[in-house]
Amino acid sequence: MSVVIAQPRHASSLLAGKRTQRGVAAASALLFGALLTGCAGSAKADSSTALQASGSTTVAPVASDAAEALKSKGLKITVATQGGSSGGISQLGSGQIEVALSSKPISDEDRKAYPKTDFVPTQIGADAVGIIVTKEVADGGVKSLTKAQVRGLFEGKVTNWKQVGGPDLDVFVYDKEPGRGTREVLDKFIYGEEGKAPAPPQSDNYAIVGGNLETRNKLESTPGSVGPLSTGFIEGHDDLVAVALEGVEPTEENVASGKYAMTRPLFMITDGKPQGAAEKYIDYVLSPAGQKLLPAHGYLTREQMGL
Amino acid sequence: MFSVVIALAVLTGYLAIGVASGDVDWLALIGDRTWSPTNGAFGALAMIYGSAVVAVLALVLAVPVGWSAAIALSEYLPPRLAKPLRLSVELLAAVPSIVYGLIGIMMIRPFVAALGDVPGGDSLLAAGIVLAVMIMPTIVAVSVDALAAVPARYREAAYALGLTRREVVRSAVLPQARSGLRAGVLLGLARALGEAIAVFLVVGRADGRLPQSPGDFFSSLVHPGQTLTTKLAGPEPTLVGTSGPHFAALCALGIILLALVAAATAWGTRRAGAGAGAGGGVKRGHRPSVWLRTERDRLATAFRLGALLLPATLLVGMLTILVTRGSSALHPAFWFSSSTGAAGGGVRDQILGTLLLLATTALIALPLGYGAGVLIGAHASPKTARVLETLTVAVGGTPTILLGLAGYVLFSTAMGWGRSWLAGAIVLVPVVVPVIALTTAGRIRSMPGELTEAALALGLSRTQYIRSVVIPYTWPATLTGLLLGLARAAGETAPLIFTATVFFGAPALPSGIVDAPVQALPTHIFTLSQDSGAPEAITQAWGSALVLVLITAVLLSLAVALRNRFEGARRWTT
Repeated sequence: MSVVIAQPRHASSLLAGKRTQRGVAAASALLFGALLTGCAGSAKADSSTALQASGSTTVAPVASDAAEALKSKGLKITVATQGGSSGGISQLGSGQIEVALSSKPISDEDRKAYPKTDFVPTQIGADAVGIIVTKEVADGGVKSLTKAQVRGLFEGKVTNWKQVGGPDLDVFVYDKEPGRGTREVLDKFIYGEEGKAPAPPQSDNYAIVGGNLETRNKLESTPGSVGPLSTGFIEGHDDLVAVALEGVEPTEENVASGKYAMTRPLFMITDGKPQGAAEKYIDYVLSPAGQKLLPAHGYLTREQMGL
Repeated sequence: MFSVVIALAVLTGYLAIGVASGDVDWLALIGDRTWSPTNGAFGALAMIYGSAVVAVLALVLAVPVGWSAAIALSEYLPPRLAKPLRLSVELLAAVPSIVYGLIGIMMIRPFVAALGDVPGGDSLLAAGIVLAVMIMPTIVAVSVDALAAVPARYREAAYALGLTRREVVRSAVLPQARSGLRAGVLLGLARALGEAIAVFLVVGRADGRLPQSPGDFFSSLVHPGQTLTTKLAGPEPTLVGTSGPHFAALCALGIILLALVAAATAWGTRRAGAGAGAGGGVKRGHRPSVWLRTERDRLATAFRLGALLLPATLLVGMLTILVTRGSSALHPAFWFSSSTGAAGGGVRDQILGTLLLLATTALIALPLGYGAGVLIGAHASPKTARVLETLTVAVGGTPTILLGLAGYVLFSTAMGWGRSWLAGAIVLVPVVVPVIALTTAGRIRSMPGELTEAALALGLSRTQYIRSVVIPYTWPATLTGLLLGLARAAGETAPLIFTATVFFGAPALPSGIVDAPVQALPTHIFTLSQDSGAPEAITQAWGSALVLVLITAVLLSLAVALRNRFEGARRWTT
């Protein structure tokens, strides 16, 4: 209706403004064009200085710090964490990235899924996955859990902390997304090398989380919660406690000696032997300066693991 | 038009090939609740349930308030007040969903946790509330348009009969606006069903939980769940490769989602004349009772104006939160320095990345959208135009997470681009093209007949006619459409995460196309808000959100200014 009423006004302004507006349109098109061609100058990023790493949120802090340190030497390294360890491995397999960050070893299935990729893992350090509970639960008497108890918790059979000698408080399980290295370490502990986890429990008090910071964040804000999380991530967070497994505390000595069951290696994985920028990157992480980054995030160095 | 068809073809092709690449047990998929890829079980019932519950919750919360607010805006407030409010509602409708997600994490999750004594607060209810807040502006905006389109003579006739204002609205205005009101609801529903990121952040993503009894139903609302979109936005698409039963099952989820959203969109934008419009007023034999007429009139007035308070409070509240919490964005250094470490420094690179994506998208989408618009508006017969228009609307309503996944499979994996800014820009093109096409087509349709007749009388060829009559006449509308579309694209998160952006370390401007990711504001906010509880990260997230909202607001203000200057009338186009 009102469109019709507006016609005369429009027609006059149309004539008056036509020329200048065309100019503006042309100018902006030029600008866009310049931007586009400017960016498309070289089709492929220079592989000797630019590098993409992606994968485990456990390895990511170390990887980011190392990338930051190498910036001054002209190396451009990006770090992403979409999909966790398995995400990194599959992106490496499909040729999208040069370095996969992983908190689990390469499996036969990975090799089978990407037969053209020559996965070469380099261990950069190690880490312990803790079964993390809130301080309230630990203070209520849950200091150590057996394998069967952990299994009961994550399969939704233990629903109140009373059942494992704790306070009268509902259990709230934060499980990790599929593909996360942390979840696989937990599975290996509960079900052994060959076994696999059953389908998720039909429990009210069961949620799924992704990265390590998200896990910590949610554990801290949820009373009675439990979740698997790298012990390095709870340092300085007194409201969270890593319980002992089968009576073994996740101390540095127990992790280094392998007595603590949920110890895992941390890897940077390449297709073939690391070369060019990838080689410089991994060499830096293995160097004394790079190894210092591991304890800074609560992990163990190669030296501590006797490598 | 070609581009719209291509986009649809690529999307459906990706989904169809995906489904064909492994056996999909459709019966199990929609009838079974167990989703456990390691055990070869692909039952999506829990996700379908989650999507349904979340969408219904959002509608139940948003529709009554939205409709009442729209009635108050259109029928009760004087134009001087209503006009700026209408504009604010439109701006609110364009706030990026990632910002709603951030508000969900920071405000609604704790609210639900406190409300139901629910640990954590991640729940279907929280997701429903976030979506309700998100779709309410859409519902209000579309409904206000529908009400404003009712000719004044209906109201005048009704008042002349001595009806109270409530009765006028009820018996003269609402029946006429019914199809428009319904469109608002269905468009809101489509948006709620297709939203991935805002829901992902607060729903809890628990696989396989279904209520066992009616009482259990209410308890399921305050506990974690999973929806179709959150499943697709999770890690599984990056893990499954491009074939096999797991991939096929995920594609099948995509098809279910696409079908639901397309049905809601197509039904919502159906032409008013199709059925409801013609006899709408007479259909209901509603006989007004004389009982307490004035009292009821006053009550209705109070209720409707009261309903307006809620969106208004939302708007003011959101702005206050954004400005107070995002105060870091008010310092110039935040805009012009690059980020350091996980949560320090500024967001210069993220802003540049976002602008690069938008500029590239604009460059590709403009000719495509314009071509499609001219085709629909000037070339096609009315019947074909209607079909094409429905197709275009369907592309515009496509859940962007599906665009992202199709782009991921096509560009990042199959073509070996890895993360690439160009892939991200291309994935955003289908978001922008339909808006340009529809505004342009609408404008062409409104062309006065004399213009065309004069052109034909002068013996212009079809091409000449387009070039010297249609283009000069429509370009303000086209540009308005472009700006509206870009404002929407600026806040897209889900498609970018899979195709174009990384959180850390990408250069401000990429040095190539292949393996050349960028950083962008939506991804930045997503990672910060999801991953970290550290106060500095949260401040950073709010600051980035404020910057993103400001960018969107600038695009929208330009669009509104253009529209007001050249068209003299508003057309709702999203």
